[in-house]
Amino acid sequence: MAQLFSPGADAIYRLTLLTALACLAGVPMVAAGIVRSDYVTGVGVAPPQPAPFSHKHHSGELGVDCRYCHTTVETQATAGLPPTHTCMTCHSQIWTGSDMLKPVRDSYARNEPLQWVRLNRLPQYVYYNHSVHVTKGIGCSTCHGDVTTMQMTYRANAFEMQFCLDCHRNPEKYVRTPDQVWNMNWTPPPDQATLGPKLVAQNHIRGGERLVECSVCHR
Amino acid sequence: MRADLDLAALRARLAGGDGPAFWRSLDAVADTPEFRAYIAEEFPAAARLAAAPERRGFLKLMAASFALAGLSACDGFDGRRHELPYVNQPERILPGASLSYASCAVFDGFANGVLVTTRNGRPLKIEGNPDHPWTRGGTDVLGQASILGLYDPFRSQAVQHLGRPSSWAAFRGAMAGFLAAWRESGGRGLALLTGPITSPALAAEIARIRAAYPGLRWFSSAGVPRDTLYEGARQAYGRPLETLPRFERARAIVSLDGDFLDLGPGQVGLSRRWIEARRAAHAAGGLLPMHAAAPTPSLTSAKADHAVAAGNAEIAQLARDLLSLQEGGSATLADGPLGAWLKGAAGALAAARGAGIVTAGLAQPAEVHALVHRLNGALGNTGASVVHVGAVPLLGAEPVPALAEAIGRGEVQALFMLGVNPVYDAPARLDFGKSLARVPLKIHAGLYADETAAYADWHLPLAHPLEAWGDGRALDGTVGLIQPMIAPLYEGRAAHEILALLDRGEPGDGRALLRDHWRGPDQDDTAFEARFSEALRLGFLPDSALPVENVALTGSAPAPAQPSAPGDAIEVVFRPDPTIWDGSVADLGWLQELPKPLTKVVWENVVALSPVLAGRLAITTGDILRVEAAGAAVEGPAWVLPGQAETTVTLTLGYGRAVPDHLSNGLGYDATRLRADGGWSLAGATLRKTGARRAPATTQDLGTMQGHDFVRVQNVGAPPAGETDSFRLASFYRAPEAADPGHERAWGMVIDLDACIGCNACVTACQAENNIPVVGREEVERGRWMGWIRVDRYYAGGLDAPDTHFQPVPCMHCEQAPCEVGCPVEATVHDSEGLNLQVYNRCVGTRTCQSYCPYKVRRFNYLDYTGAMAPVEQQQRNPEVTVRARGVMEKCTYCVQRIAAARIDSAKDAHAPIPDGTVETSCQNACPTRAIIFGDLSDPGSRVSAARQDPRNYALLGELNTRPRTTYLASLAPAAKDG
Repeated sequence: MAQLFSPGADAIYRLTLLTALACLAGVPMVAAGIVRSDYVTGVGVAPPQPAPFSHKHHSGELGVDCRYCHTTVETQATAGLPPTHTCMTCHSQIWTGSDMLKPVRDSYARNEPLQWVRLNRLPQYVYYNHSVHVTKGIGCSTCHGDVTTMQMTYRANAFEMQFCLDCHRNPEKYVRTPDQVWNMNWTPPPDQATLGPKLVAQNHIRGGERLVECSVCHR
Repeated sequence: MRADLDLAALRARLAGGDGPAFWRSLDAVADTPEFRAYIAEEFPAAARLAAAPERRGFLKLMAASFALAGLSACDGFDGRRHELPYVNQPERILPGASLSYASCAVFDGFANGVLVTTRNGRPLKIEGNPDHPWTRGGTDVLGQASILGLYDPFRSQAVQHLGRPSSWAAFRGAMAGFLAAWRESGGRGLALLTGPITSPALAAEIARIRAAYPGLRWFSSAGVPRDTLYEGARQAYGRPLETLPRFERARAIVSLDGDFLDLGPGQVGLSRRWIEARRAAHAAGGLLPMHAAAPTPSLTSAKADHAVAAGNAEIAQLARDLLSLQEGGSATLADGPLGAWLKGAAGALAAARGAGIVTAGLAQPAEVHALVHRLNGALGNTGASVVHVGAVPLLGAEPVPALAEAIGRGEVQALFMLGVNPVYDAPARLDFGKSLARVPLKIHAGLYADETAAYADWHLPLAHPLEAWGDGRALDGTVGLIQPMIAPLYEGRAAHEILALLDRGEPGDGRALLRDHWRGPDQDDTAFEARFSEALRLGFLPDSALPVENVALTGSAPAPAQPSAPGDAIEVVFRPDPTIWDGSVADLGWLQELPKPLTKVVWENVVALSPVLAGRLAITTGDILRVEAAGAAVEGPAWVLPGQAETTVTLTLGYGRAVPDHLSNGLGYDATRLRADGGWSLAGATLRKTGARRAPATTQDLGTMQGHDFVRVQNVGAPPAGETDSFRLASFYRAPEAADPGHERAWGMVIDLDACIGCNACVTACQAENNIPVVGREEVERGRWMGWIRVDRYYAGGLDAPDTHFQPVPCMHCEQAPCEVGCPVEATVHDSEGLNLQVYNRCVGTRTCQSYCPYKVRRFNYLDYTGAMAPVEQQQRNPEVTVRARGVMEKCTYCVQRIAAARIDSAKDAHAPIPDGTVETSCQNACPTRAIIFGDLSDPGSRVSAARQDPRNYALLGELNTRPRTTYLASLAPAAKDG
């Protein structure tokens, strides 16, 4: 009786088995990679906006304070988007004929709001409050990145739960002195290891215990 | 209820002391194996699946579940792709911040002060206005649900001409010719039909119109008229008056079918005054006892310390006997329970001369009211513990039957109907729809394109009180101002704006009309501006309550009416529905799904009859009955109601609506068909079974707990009913850290069962605050009612005259919570402030927690109850509370969003302590009798800590050692020897 299987059959069989195993392990890994990729999370992607507003120019080069436009960041849950009127406080005087600002002038003239594309979006069961974070010494750039370098604004972090928890567990790594909260280029000072815990105690921040309780963010 | 329940056996069981001390339903008393199985079966609907285990089907389902499970993680479109800032930021509107305005909730024309919470310009929630002199911080179910009324998708949204969409411009054009003709003829043939009016501005408008059109005739119609009250005062004092009990001066209350605790325009203010007087009496070591006789149980009779069931004829006789006893005569009713009750009531009144209150409800005829006035006069109560003020609604309108007659004589050429629905609620014998056909021009304005709109030539959408300017008076006469929270969602206009059309030729601007009215003729601009702004800020005009009038009895006591034929004749009594009132709010799902306080029936009305009558006619709950009287008949499901007078049958109004495609269409039966002359009772009816059966959907056995002593009663002078240590039993397990007071804030709640009148305001307030879905009748029948706080109604004693107790049951937030043990994914956990949290995004829907919960307060989203809501209805949702998805467990959170807001404010303020009273749960805020106290147990000065020290304080199922954070104060009862 002739051989049913050729001499290479074993090798093919082993290869198939290996490939199948690799796929079994690989597919979830690839899938996990995709959902975390910038393509899905939108990190680093600057979508087209109705007016090409540059944080780099306004905030970085001209030094306009964050709170000039995001007025409610210290008092409310949301930082607030500036009404068209805020843009026009300056742009009724300077760059009045600029093509780039036409949508802003149109919005003001027609009393129709500008439709900005949203960059930062949390799931609906997450309740984030800007005011308590900035009051306690968490700076803008910790979450939003250094917007003073962004020509067109993009999302700096994916805001997955891991990201929030990192800080809620170890706030001493990120907490700043009040004057540094609005500093967009902040990097931990050399003495953060001693300063951090001091600020945490000063501000009654209870990281790692109270801050990781579900009711702090979820309702 | 089973068809073969033997009422005689139940009665014997209860009388023999063999039955439960407190029971919710007749089935629970019968304690049949079927009922036990129903209670033991945690998920009645799941039982069907479990009963037929079929391997292949099970595997298929599981495979499909796994395969599709991932889909639930996919993000749907959530409308947040764009962000739209304002062009010009309006003053005071901060994105996402809540802003509260004072206004009024309108109840049958009466204006009860409320605060309206708005966010981003959208009104979201009604809160009580603690500064309003009449409501003083409480609300009722209709007020709470009015927010849903604003966003109701069934509302009328456009002007209609002959049933086709039209416009205000077209209407005004069409009116131009008529107006000229009416002016010329002095308004001959012109008729105006309105609901009850307490608004001074509208009253002035009507006066102007009547001056401009001398021939105009003004009629008034109401689903629940208060005529009997005013006619009774007229008989006694010669003029119509409101009667206001002064509970704070009272030492005894006798209610002859009184309704001061029942749903109605006065409920909020009256129940608050009653409970404060009762609390004061208790603090002084006594009790403010109430003796109540009623043909059908009501919230008032349920809260009475000495209640008796009596038919309407007997009530009139009781009033007469009380009067004759005060005057030294004798009583005709001396035997039986009525005689004993009469003796007790007369004794209490005699002992409290000048400090007693005798009261009767609006369903009693004028003669009884006149007798009550004479009785109060004879006892010296009038002017002391009972006072009178002028009638609050504008009187002087002709009744609807007069309108029907005028139409019949061809005297009405044009009819304006403002905010009324006479085709539905006018007395049946008038057949109003038919007579309307004889009016050449019919104009109807309403919130809904209802039955009357279908007959009208023009239908105009009315603006909701939350989107219009206006004013109105509360029951004590306090003038409340109504201001719009939002621009009208549709093209609606307020009634006085429409009336301005008659006066000035075109619809007016509500704000200007209101200002013009309140502005004195020679008032200086700035002074008026300041006064008007201040009144708007407050929501009412200070010190505008009507003055107490001095009254003197005139004439003599009314002659006894002909006694109705005794024997088998059955008396029908009509009542406004305890949740949907006269039916004008019948399209609101919150109110339809709100369990009626005594029957716990939802989505329909029932024919309530006494256990004795049910036994005699072999009727059980669920039999479809045919009630016939004077040639008309209605059919509805029977409900055997403990405490009902023996030969009376109760029908409630508001159902049987027939507006195609509306929520209320076809629900229940229309009791007005029997109400030939619009009266509140009808003698000589017959009752028979049709043979059909359909059990009403009820929640009375939902959440039946297993244990004992759910409700406790504290007899005055008896040893404490509470046991403050019951929730400190020894345990094998280490106490959770949060149990240690002083370490952290420890939120807790105490509910005073003596103050709870079962009004359901808390249930509706919770629904509004926490985005709780309406699930529909079928789902409720499957045991899937979603309310986070339920009001359990317990009976104690025999079938025929039981004591009634109400017990609101929210999540207990147990310190040692059984539910947390069961959850495989830690979706229910504790936080350090003692809240038992439900984390929706973790929950996978095993429902283990629900079966572990001894209090049965967890609710599961079996279906997607929220996704299909109309977009306009979604506008009402509270953005601070997650809208739960299908497959997720939910429950009371102690309004964690309100706690979080206070916590964040305190954190920003260097962790300043949160003052007591800063966090009010929604249910607590709504409660008209302040039965719910919430606060921080770790603060020894908080009100909730003080309430916990009350000797009446006890924990529900405390023996389970769950250490609930919600505890109860036992209900009060007279010392056992009088009882």
